[in-house]
Amino acid sequence: MRYIFNFPDIGEGLDEGTIAEWYVEKGQQVSSGDALVKMETDKVVTDIPSPKTGTIVAIYGKVGETIHVGNPLVEIEIEGVEGEAAQEEAKTDFTTEPIEEGAGVVGTMEVAGNAAFLPSSTEGAAQSKDEENKPARKSLATPVARAMAKDLGVDINQVTGSGPAGRVIISDIKKFHSSFGQASMEKTIIPDQTELVSYEPLSQIRKAIARNMLESKQQAPHMTVHEEVEVSELVSVRSKYKAIYEEKEVKLSYLPFVVKATALALKKFRTLNSQLDMENERMIFKNYVNMGIAVDTVDGLVVPVIKDADKKSIFELAQEINEISNKAQKRTLKLEDMQDGTFTITNYGSIGGLHANPVINYPQAGILGVGRLVKKPVIKNDNIIIGTVQPLSLAVDHRIIDGGDVTRFLNQLMEYLADPISILMD
Amino acid sequence: MEYDVIIIGSGPAGYVAAIRAGQLGLKTILIEKKQIGGMCLNWGCIPTKSLIESAKFYRRLNQSSKFGIDGIDMKKVSFNWENAKKRANLIVKKLGGGISHLLKKNGVEILIGEACITSQNTVTVNNRNIEGKNMIIATGSYPKPVHKNVPKKILVELDKLFDLDQIPTHVVLTGHGPTVAEMAQFFRFIGKEVTVLLDHQFIIHDADPYLSDYLEKKLIEDQIKIIHTEQVDSYSNGHLIVGEQKVKCDIVINCNYRNGITPPSDIKIDTDDNGFIPTDDNLMTAIEGIYAIGDVNGKSYLAHAASAQGIWVINHLKGIKNSLNLKLYPLNIYTTPEIAQIGMSEAEIKNEGYAYKINEFPLSANGKALTEGLQEGLVRLISETKYGQVLGVQIIAENATDMIAEASAYMQIEGTVYDIAQTIHAHPTVSEIFMEAGFDAVDKAIHK
Repeated sequence: MRYIFNFPDIGEGLDEGTIAEWYVEKGQQVSSGDALVKMETDKVVTDIPSPKTGTIVAIYGKVGETIHVGNPLVEIEIEGVEGEAAQEEAKTDFTTEPIEEGAGVVGTMEVAGNAAFLPSSTEGAAQSKDEENKPARKSLATPVARAMAKDLGVDINQVTGSGPAGRVIISDIKKFHSSFGQASMEKTIIPDQTELVSYEPLSQIRKAIARNMLESKQQAPHMTVHEEVEVSELVSVRSKYKAIYEEKEVKLSYLPFVVKATALALKKFRTLNSQLDMENERMIFKNYVNMGIAVDTVDGLVVPVIKDADKKSIFELAQEINEISNKAQKRTLKLEDMQDGTFTITNYGSIGGLHANPVINYPQAGILGVGRLVKKPVIKNDNIIIGTVQPLSLAVDHRIIDGGDVTRFLNQLMEYLADPISILMD
Repeated sequence: MEYDVIIIGSGPAGYVAAIRAGQLGLKTILIEKKQIGGMCLNWGCIPTKSLIESAKFYRRLNQSSKFGIDGIDMKKVSFNWENAKKRANLIVKKLGGGISHLLKKNGVEILIGEACITSQNTVTVNNRNIEGKNMIIATGSYPKPVHKNVPKKILVELDKLFDLDQIPTHVVLTGHGPTVAEMAQFFRFIGKEVTVLLDHQFIIHDADPYLSDYLEKKLIEDQIKIIHTEQVDSYSNGHLIVGEQKVKCDIVINCNYRNGITPPSDIKIDTDDNGFIPTDDNLMTAIEGIYAIGDVNGKSYLAHAASAQGIWVINHLKGIKNSLNLKLYPLNIYTTPEIAQIGMSEAEIKNEGYAYKINEFPLSANGKALTEGLQEGLVRLISETKYGQVLGVQIIAENATDMIAEASAYMQIEGTVYDIAQTIHAHPTVSEIFMEAGFDAVDKAIHK
């Protein structure tokens, strides 16, 4: 039978993607799970695996073309499955289509499971537009150009090669990379101000953010608690290790400490590391801590995830934060980098602002807002001294978490931050 | 217009450009003052390599009994200059015939005579006016004159070497560069007393000092006398006086570094202090439509770089996209052992700010080299450490000038040490040293 594989929702709330590279060509044998195509969306670049074992009989779309979720990507001829068995095979697709855990900005998206099948016939093959769908070839590039493209997050298929036979060489990658940088800058060009208003279409990422924010606010009754914690000791620890980390080429901000402290506190207060499953009338408690970090990029907000944040050292966290924010800026985050978060931290303080009412990354149970460090008069042992104060804003889903738990969680978190050694001692 | 392209000079730049132009259907005329093939074919690359091969053959006879050959009495063996010249001339004739045939086959008109440029698109040759849309100057270069204190009667220019009936005992060579080293060894190998008046800090000024220093030591080992000087004080009683040194000298051969040769012209063609014609990135001179390729533009003094420019400029004229990397071509020195280099020297790599490493592998650990009895030498592989890209390769080996082609290919495609290490090399071959150096760069050489 012939199976049409449609572009599935890859779980990041975007409804279209651009073909970056075909890994298969017409006539090729594929096994279930083999990568078929590299798709690029506004936020991620990801490989789409084949759902079936069989022979590719048609490929839809060329490199650079945009495919909407639910539209066909490839047709696969599945051998030895005919008639009723084929019907059955096709049906099972609806149920076996993988349901991706929520990833991306906020929340779990619906996952498309549109499968269909066509009977095997020459007629079908004739309609597959052979000429227009010639398999895309792996772009010709020198070994070093390939490695450098990967390093710099440049999609080598988009680079025009200037070497013999159009081979992409080192200088092409360098040139593309520097002009790509400029292209990002150009996005901030001031619009035509002679008109009273200007209209611009919504980008994919903005649409996703809008949809997810709305869903979060509609589904989860938010409650936000604001607190302040004096962190002079943390300031001195950080300034001491900053230089040491720099020698290892890792930038040390306060964020790794906040991530670590939050992760440890979550291990103690599991309701904040949970999810409400209304449909089945049950709670889902996560026994691991995957910390989402909201990153501000030119294109919009993205939330890459640090897996097992509670188990990582400050150094490892610092390294990983550097890495994911670089990837976010260059738009080279992979889908797996953004999946399966259990709690989120939004560090708006790095730009400015003291307190906020952050919106929960639904269906997670809470989000911690981290404000700008400020020097303030604080009272210690009945003396007024100059202290360094960290503002915190914690928003939770009030359906799951009561006021008492929020406060207890925050108290624990503040203890960790006020006395960074305690992070080690617990 | 009568012609699409007028090419002045038929050396490896001009004749190759002419063939390419013919292939692309351009109406082409090639003007040559002396002989088709230029310096390279007639008095340079080809005949000198032929002589060097005779000398190497002669010298190796020494080892015949060691190789299991009896009956060669070295006292009875002597070098026959006339026959060696004859052999060289036959090769030159054969190759020259081949070039003329190719030019004709591709519809190139050949005109023997001296061209005088009369305007942006006209030249006169033997009182004939020739008009063309484009003009290419490929007139080459010539060794700078030797010091004025060297009397004319003992001076021989390189292109007059073959006019000599015999070679006297005491030979003095001047200059620097591959030619000096090659010719010094040649005369030494055929039994002459050889002195080099070296006018540069390095005998090969554009090689990695590692190679240049090696070569200078090698020449001294071969009992060639090297005097670092640019000055000759006088000549008397069969001796050159150089500072405090008295050098026995029957003949001085001018192997000096070169100056550009500009054709006579009614319009002003700019040249630099050494007679080279400056060109832009498209190899065009300051005059629209007039190009300069090969030695005459001063970008390189090597035949293969000149030919590459010839092909490039014609493709460019025809609008065919092609690339020319004049930083990436081999430098070959046909000494014993041969020396070859491609890419940057260590100092250049350091200057560019690369983190790099050097991996060496000696010929003494190579089976094929041992069977040939030619185990002197090594390969040096210089790569940057981030991607492992090969930035420079230096080879000292009997066949280094052929072996360097492999390095050229890797570097042309911006290859890495991983590519070298993973390329299976046939055994036994001398080229295995390249793979070993690759292994060494990636992790560890197998046979080291």
